[in-house]
Order: sequence, then structure tokens, then C-alpha cells
Amino acid sequence: MAQEIIELGTQKKSFFKDKVMELLPDGGNLNACLTCGACASGCPASGLEDMDPRKFLRLAALGMDDIITSTPWVWMCSMCQRCIYVCPMKINIPQLVYYAREAWPRENRPTGILKSCDIALKNDTCSAMGASEEDFQFVVEDVLEEYRASQPEFAEMKAPVNQKGATFFLNQNSREPVTEPDEMVPLWKILHMVGADWTYGTKGWAAENYCMFLADDKSWEHIVRTKAKAVEDLGCKVWLNTE
Amino acid sequence: MDKCIACGLCAQKCPKKVDDEFNMGLSKRKAIYIKYGQSVPLKYAIDPENCIYLTRGKCRACEKFCPTGAINFDDKEEIIQLNVGAIITAPGFKPFDPSILDSYAYDKIPDVVTSLEYERLLSAGGPYMGHLVRPSDEQEPKKIAWIQCVGSRDTNKCSNEFCSSVCCMYAIKQALVTKEHLSGDTELKQSIFYMDIRTHGKEFERYYEDAKEKGVEFVRARPHTLEPGKDNRGVIIRYVDEDGNVINDEYDMVVLSVGLEAPKGAKDLSNIMGFDLDEYNFAKTSSFNTVQTSKKGIYVTGAFGGPKDIPQAVTEASTAAAEAAKLLSKARGTLTKKKTYPKEIDVTCEKPRIGVIICSCGINISNVVDVKELVEFAKTLPNVEYVENTMFSCSTDTQYLIIEKIKEYNLNRLVVAACTPRTHEPLFQETLRDAGLNEFLVEMANIRNQNSWVHQNDPKAATEKAKDQIKMAIAKATLNSPLKRLKIKVNQKALVIGGGVSGIVSALTLANLGYECILIEKHSKLGGNAWNLETTYKKEKIRPWLNAQINRVENHPKIEVLKNTELKEVTGTIGNFEAKVQSGDEIRNIGFGAAIVCVGATEYKPTEYLYGEDPRVLTSFEFEAKLREKIIAPEKINSVVFIQCVGSRDKERPYCSRVCCTHTMEKAIRLKEKNPDLQVFVLYRDIRTYGTREKLYKKARDLGVIFIRYTLSNKPEVRLENGDLVVLTTDPIIKLPVKIHADYLCLASAIIPTNNIEISDLFKLSKNTDGFINEAHPKLRPVDATTDGVFLAGLCNYPKSIDESIAQAEAAAGRASIILSKDYMELDAIKSFVSDNCDGCGLCVDVCPYSALSIVEIQDQDGTIKKRISADPALCKGCGLCEATCPKGGILVHGFTLDQIEAQIQTLLAN
Repeated sequence: MAQEIIELGTQKKSFFKDKVMELLPDGGNLNACLTCGACASGCPASGLEDMDPRKFLRLAALGMDDIITSTPWVWMCSMCQRCIYVCPMKINIPQLVYYAREAWPRENRPTGILKSCDIALKNDTCSAMGASEEDFQFVVEDVLEEYRASQPEFAEMKAPVNQKGATFFLNQNSREPVTEPDEMVPLWKILHMVGADWTYGTKGWAAENYCMFLADDKSWEHIVRTKAKAVEDLGCKVWLNTE
Repeated sequence: MDKCIACGLCAQKCPKKVDDEFNMGLSKRKAIYIKYGQSVPLKYAIDPENCIYLTRGKCRACEKFCPTGAINFDDKEEIIQLNVGAIITAPGFKPFDPSILDSYAYDKIPDVVTSLEYERLLSAGGPYMGHLVRPSDEQEPKKIAWIQCVGSRDTNKCSNEFCSSVCCMYAIKQALVTKEHLSGDTELKQSIFYMDIRTHGKEFERYYEDAKEKGVEFVRARPHTLEPGKDNRGVIIRYVDEDGNVINDEYDMVVLSVGLEAPKGAKDLSNIMGFDLDEYNFAKTSSFNTVQTSKKGIYVTGAFGGPKDIPQAVTEASTAAAEAAKLLSKARGTLTKKKTYPKEIDVTCEKPRIGVIICSCGINISNVVDVKELVEFAKTLPNVEYVENTMFSCSTDTQYLIIEKIKEYNLNRLVVAACTPRTHEPLFQETLRDAGLNEFLVEMANIRNQNSWVHQNDPKAATEKAKDQIKMAIAKATLNSPLKRLKIKVNQKALVIGGGVSGIVSALTLANLGYECILIEKHSKLGGNAWNLETTYKKEKIRPWLNAQINRVENHPKIEVLKNTELKEVTGTIGNFEAKVQSGDEIRNIGFGAAIVCVGATEYKPTEYLYGEDPRVLTSFEFEAKLREKIIAPEKINSVVFIQCVGSRDKERPYCSRVCCTHTMEKAIRLKEKNPDLQVFVLYRDIRTYGTREKLYKKARDLGVIFIRYTLSNKPEVRLENGDLVVLTTDPIIKLPVKIHADYLCLASAIIPTNNIEISDLFKLSKNTDGFINEAHPKLRPVDATTDGVFLAGLCNYPKSIDESIAQAEAAAGRASIILSKDYMELDAIKSFVSDNCDGCGLCVDVCPYSALSIVEIQDQDGTIKKRISADPALCKGCGLCEATCPKGGILVHGFTLDQIEAQIQTLLAN
């Protein structure tokens, strides 16, 4: 690790952790840690980069802000929240991770996430894979056609696009229409069987939101607003987010 | 209910099987049942929710088979009105239900059990008769894990912020007991997953160290999720150790160390009775009176007042009894009735005429031993006039039978072949008195505990052994002679030694119970260590309370306070002691019936961490004093470091001083509240804020106090760097060295028993290896000293907090009042006595553990002076060491004379 020795007790500096605590309800309980390790025991990212959630919070508590704001481990956290789930003190470690991500210069953040966010910002589909409105509609209709023909029991199945006033607005991770179109069908079948009144939209149909994982608040907001507007424009009552 | 003889036939015939709640549902019981084997009274009860007749109107099988006509289906609950002056509530606790913690899959994995279920699995009276097996396949587990703090110290999945206080110890106990239960040379692995090990009680730390030495593994980690093993057998645990290694391990079974919650009906009880509960639904009390609820006259004892262990609960039971007795002291004795007995028949010149009762104990004895054969056998023995087999020889009707037969057959000795004299001899002694015989003319043969219970597999040999036991008892009874109990007049006055909080409270309690007492204090001021403390853990200010108590004690008409006074000499025994006390040059004699020893303890003066070399390094008391005197101004300093366990839990003093963690929390919180920017660091080994004290630990953390753990092998280092006080340690989680610049270093130093040597010599009290005065029994008699008539309270017994000292002091006063309330006391008659064979050699004097023997000079009939032993019956406990040591039969013990023992052996060897 970067520093050889932790020096404490001199004039109090404002720790990164303290700033984060000001932003969170109840300070995210970040001070309450018993160092019991329940978080680390359940974390899928434990051991990566010689780090785990307990160590991460401990470094923050001891003011090791340089390590906190530079360890690539923060990008390995999947934000699954298993740590909070069992923490006896309900400590919000994922939020600490989030703010640590935010401390990275945007251009230094992991390329995969960064590019996915940037691509999503480029068009109204919000697709991190850059799939256009036309491509999406074409794939949906093409796949639907094929299944209706090959599976007579689903001859009546529908996959509406831009149907105004439908009850449910369904979205879809870009990966499916772009690389695994057949994966969309099981959900259509379920919705068909229960007789749900639903639709896709050509705008805002992509379910993923890499800007959130990038800890780019502004872009995250833009993506959410674009998606929300698409739902409202079609006058749907419920937004079914499949992510 | 009176008719039931608990023969068990009803339950045998009852067709309805129900989960046995006493065995945590691990086994079945019937709809007619006894809750557990030791219930008093031992009577079967019908469970109306499961009884086929009561739910569906048909069956009545139990009624058909009951030999005594005891079944009454119409027996309903009754409302009984009682007029009482005080109420003591003791509803206990509710074990935490772990099924809400889905990640531990308690409901899904059969081999995940609660600690209470495990306790039943280990128990000889449990579903597997003490042969430990795991639930999934009933195989012996070889690898067991305990997970601590399940439902304790958790504000996420439950709102149990508190520590349950007892789970660390019971987990260690279960681990050690498991070792004893498993067969042969089993290679056993046991792991205890913990956050802090809390072994803060007397002798607990040694127990913990012993467990480590015996191979129990202690892992500082908290597993996240428990997964089932193959075929849902065993349990897979994934955890991260303190070095950051991810470990996947499979255990045969996992025990969840569940915590103690307030009892189920806590709210209802408090509503009905009108007292307050605390935020965890435990009864609300103050540190200055731990048993008084918010409603006068209603007291609480046990875990309902907050989680606590058995010694503490038993102590508090006496505290509550003393409090209630104080309230009702004016009415004392007004409702008691005195029993009268017929005049004792003199049997000394009569030929022995022995009656023999052979007990079946339900089926406890008779299903192994052939009791009918025993009856026939006993009839053939010399001096036996009457023999009877009874279902329960302890039942009330049998006592009437015995009295009747004593009269009918002119019996003058009784032999009861049944269970242990430890529990049942007093009953038969009483029966003899009721029949006009001396109570020492009864003899017992233990054909249950020492026979049928241990020889179940060999009934034939068991019956032969029972014959030997009966034969021996009869041989001994033949030589039994009437004995008289020593009666002494009680001096109804108490001596309290030590004027700290415990002494003050003891004296006040005794005085308010109506007894005179003398309080002696060797210093010029009362109050002791309490002057060094600011607040209790519940934040009550100590000094105003202490001043008020001192004022009360000094002005109480029944209390005489002697300051600058020391105890010099003690003679006499329970009920009638004599002491010499010295105040300055004046020596005074004091007579008293009971004593309470509260001589306190001292704060250890450290020899490390630059203590005594740098003025900024202070003990806990010194730091507190400087804070009070405003020499330390929290708002003007940057950083304070506390080091815990200074002088405790090491090789020299392998005990935990119990209070230091809580005291440090109090101080750390006060510092942070005065100056939030002040940095406070606590270097600790395990934080031991047991019970609801845990709240302080949580608060200290929330306020930003930094806690860094260290181990005995890697202690912090304190040094000066350019005049700066610097503390060096290593953070165990991130493995980096930490250097803390400290304005002050507060050492949480040990409590050491400095005042116990003289007092324990004077009263012949036993001490443990650390020098703390021992209680007569750690669980059953936690405030009685090992010498009768002497009681203990406060720090001389073991480190404890002020509320615990107060509770123990009241309990000690309550216990002492049992003696003081009597005009006369009867002592046991089983005492040593000197025979003419004694030549005063003094061998016995050396072995007597109770100092009951001394060498005296007596004048012979022909006028020569010779040496002889004198036995003080008041001091003698009848242990028999003297009799066994004397080579000449010069000293014997009543009831166990050489003749009697020889007769038993001769009879046994006769064929």
C-alpha cells in the first residue's frame, strides 16, 4: 500500500469518510463498524486487489484517503449490497464505494464502463451498445414473426412497439436485441400467457445504466430522465425495469 | 393432583404424540406429560390443546389406566386472589428466534441448530440421552462451529443493540463439554466465530484460556451466509479471516449462539403492574437499586432486568428478597406458624427394630432392579421387623405409612432404599421426628443414582448390588444412636467490614431490615473507590448519591460507624462471633452473629507505557480526577489515547477486570461530547461492554472514537519523540503500523485485591489464585463466604461495577438477616468428638480444614496433666478427615464412627 505508516492524533484533517457521512442519512452508519467481517465474508469482490469491504471501510476510518480514492477495487464492487444486508450495524459501504468512484477523474475511470455510458448518452434509446431505434424495432418484429410461425401455440403472441396507453412499458438490456435476440422471447411468452397489456418503446428501451456505475451523476440523471420521458410520452402506467 | 403418584402409566398409554418443547422439539412427548424430570411437584398434567378427549370428546385412555384415579378432565385454571405487600417478578427471558436471519438458513439446513437445541442434544436427559448426534443423519459430528452474537449486538436484522452477556461463556462451555461427550479418540475440530470474546466473570478468563489450550479454535470473523452441504447434510461456511484470506470450510454442524431478549409477556406484565420498561423491553431499574422497578413494592430479578448470567441472577434474587423484606420488615414473623413435634422416645436401651422401605421411584428403580426380590431379601436380615415396597417413598402418603408402621411395629430405626440422602434425607428425618423418634435413626441406601441409573444394561447384577447396599445400610442403622443438634443463641447484630459502597449499602440494608450493625472502616472517610467515579453506566451521577448514603449511614440509629478502625481478631462461629477491633490505641470487643466482608480492592499502578515517567500518562482514576478538576480541558486538546487491559488478562493476572471497558466508554463519550473534534483512540483486546452497556460502545463509535485491536503478543509501544507522547500499534485489519500523537494517555489498569490477606486469615475464608475471596458456590451461593455466617460484597470478591456491588451488598445483608432473624440456631449433629483413646498427638489438628481442633491440657482422674484434643462443634463440618487421620481411634465423627463403617464393610465381605 502507498503509505508505510498511518499517522494520527495531530491536527484533525477532514477525512473523505466524514465528507461522505455528511451526504448520507444517519451518516450511512459508517462510524459504527465492529470490524466483524460479515461484509467481507459475503462480498464477491473480497480478496481482489488485496481488498475487501471491511478493509476498505477501515482504511476510510483511519483517514487513508489516498488509497480509498485510488484503489481500482471500487470498480470491482458490483453494488449488490450483500454487505449491508447482513451488517449488524447496517453500514452503507456501497455508498462509500460510490463516492470513492466519483473521486476518480472521469477519463481515468474503467474504459468499458466509461464508453458504455458515453455511447448511451448519444441517442435516445439509451443503449450502451449504440443500438438505434430502427434496429431495435426491426429485431423485435423479426424475432416475433419467426416464433409465431414456428410455435403455433404462440401464433397470437404480440410484442408491441410504441403502443400508446399500454399499461406496462417494458425495457430490455441492449445485449439481448443486439447479441442474443432469442433471450427476449421467454418474457414475451409470460406476458402473453397472463394477457398483460404492454409495449416496448423505440425511445428509452435500453434497461442498462452504465452512467450510474460510472458514478457520473449528471449523465446518470440524463439517462433516467430520457427513459422516464419515453414512458410518459406513450402514456403508460407502469415502467417495468428488467435490469 | 394430590392423587397422582407420577407412575407414568398415563403417558405410556396416551395415544397422542406432541413435539416436546422442553427438548426444543427435538423429541416427542404425550398429551399427558411432565414438563421435565425435575419438576416440583412431580405430577402429570394434561395439555388441553392436544388431548384427544378435550379436543374431540373421545379417548380417556389415561383415566382407564391410572391406578389412583387421579385423572380429572374438569380441572381448569382458577383465578386466585392473594393479598401481598410486595411482588417480585422473575419472568426470565426469551431466546432469540434466528429464523428471521435468512442468511443463516436456520429453517432450511437441519444441521444448523440454536445453542438451546444444542444444549438439549448434549443433555443426558435430552432426546439422544446425551449421545451427541447431528439432526440430519443422527451421526456423531466431528467438526462443529459456533457463531456468536446471533440476535445480539445487531441493529439491522433486529433491534437488539445490547450484548446478551452469557453467550461467549456458554459457547466455550458447550465446546468443552462436547469434547467429553464424543466417543473415544475422535479427532474433533471446534471453531467459535466471534466479534469480541466476553469472559468477564470470575474464573471465566481462565476457562477461555483453557479452551484455547485444549484446541478450541477462536476465529475473529462473522460468516455472511450458511450454505447446506451435500444432500443437505453439514454446513458450508465462507468467511474472511483477519488476514483477509477468503476461506471456505465445511462443518458437520453449526450452533447459533442466540441471545437473550425480554420475555414474551414483558409489555403485558408491565402494563398490568404499572412499571416502566427500557428501550429493549427489559424492566427499567436504576444502578442504585437494580431490583426496584419504577413502581414501589414491585421488584424485578434475573434476566428480565437485562441479560445476565446465573451468578448475577442468583445474587439479584437475594437482592430482591432483601428489598421486599425491608419493605415488609414490620410485618415480619406475623404469618409464620411453628411446627410442633411429639416428645422424643428414648430408644438407647432398646434392641434395634428396623423398618425397611424399598422405593420403586415410579419406574426409575423398578425397571432395572427387582424390588420384589429386595423385599424378600431384606426380610431375612437381622433386626429387620418390617419391609415395604412403595411406588414413591417420598410421597406424602408414604410418610403417613411410615409413621403408622413405626407405631404398629415399635420400630426404632428406619432404612430407606431409594435415592440420594443429599436431597431426601431431611424429609425422612422429619418423618421420624413426627413419629417421635430421633431424626438420626434413619439411614438411606442410594439404589437409584448409584445403581438403577448407571446399571441399566445389567438388571441382574444391579439387583445383587442393591442387596449389598441395603445390607450395608441396615448394618449401619443397627449402630445408629440418637444425636442432638447443637443449639446456639444468636447475637442478632452484624459486623460490616469496609466502608466503601458495598459496606455502606450492606449496613443500611441490615439496619432497614431492623438489625443493629457496626460498620468499620480503616480510613477516615467512607465511600472508598466510588469517589473516583463520575457516573454509572446509566449516566446517574455517583457523588450526590454517595454523599446521601454516607449521611444516612452515619445518622442511622441502628448503625454504629467506626472509622480509622481495623479488625484484629475473630473468634466464635456463625450466630455468635467475637471480634477485637482497634481504633487508634483503643481496642474494643464486639459480639455479632454474622459478618459482611466488603474490604474492596485497589487500582493497579502500571509499570509500563511510560507510567510514572511522563506526567501525561495516567491511570483511569487519575485521568478522571484531572478531568473533574479541569486540569485536563477536552476543548483545548487534540488527542487522547486509552489502552485497555493494562495489568489484566496477562500471565501475572489472568483475569478480566470487568469494568474498565465500560469506564473507558464513559470517558471517551464525555470527551467527544465536550469536543467533537477531539480525536479519541481506544487500543483494546476485546471490548467487554456486556449487557446493555453495549449501548455505550455503540455511542462511542458513532461519535467517532477509533477502536484499534491489539494482542498480548503485539502490545502497543509508548515513546517520546521530540517531547511528543507517541503511541505505536498496528491495525489488525489493514496490517499497517499506526502512530498516534497523544496529549494524554489513559491506562485502563487492573483491579487488584490488596486488602484480602488479613481478613481471609481472620475469618478463615478461601481465596482464588488471584487473591479474590471465594464465594461458597459460584452459582448457588454467590454472596456467602466459605465460612458460615460470613458474607461477601463488592470488589474483594471480584471486580464489578457499582450497580453490581450494590446488588451484592443488599443480597449479602439479606442473606445475613436469615441468621440474625433467629433467636437460636440449630447446627448439624454430624460433628467430630474425642474418645478416651486420644493422646493429644495433634495429627488431626494439622489436617482439619476448619480449624475446629485444638490441643488442650486436661487433668486425669489420678491427677496427672495430659494433652488431649478439643473439638469445637460449632466450627466442625463433620468432614471426617480427623477420624481418617487418627491412628488410634481417638477422634470420631457422629453418625460415621469407625464401628459403623466397619459394620458396613464386614457385612459386605461376609459372604
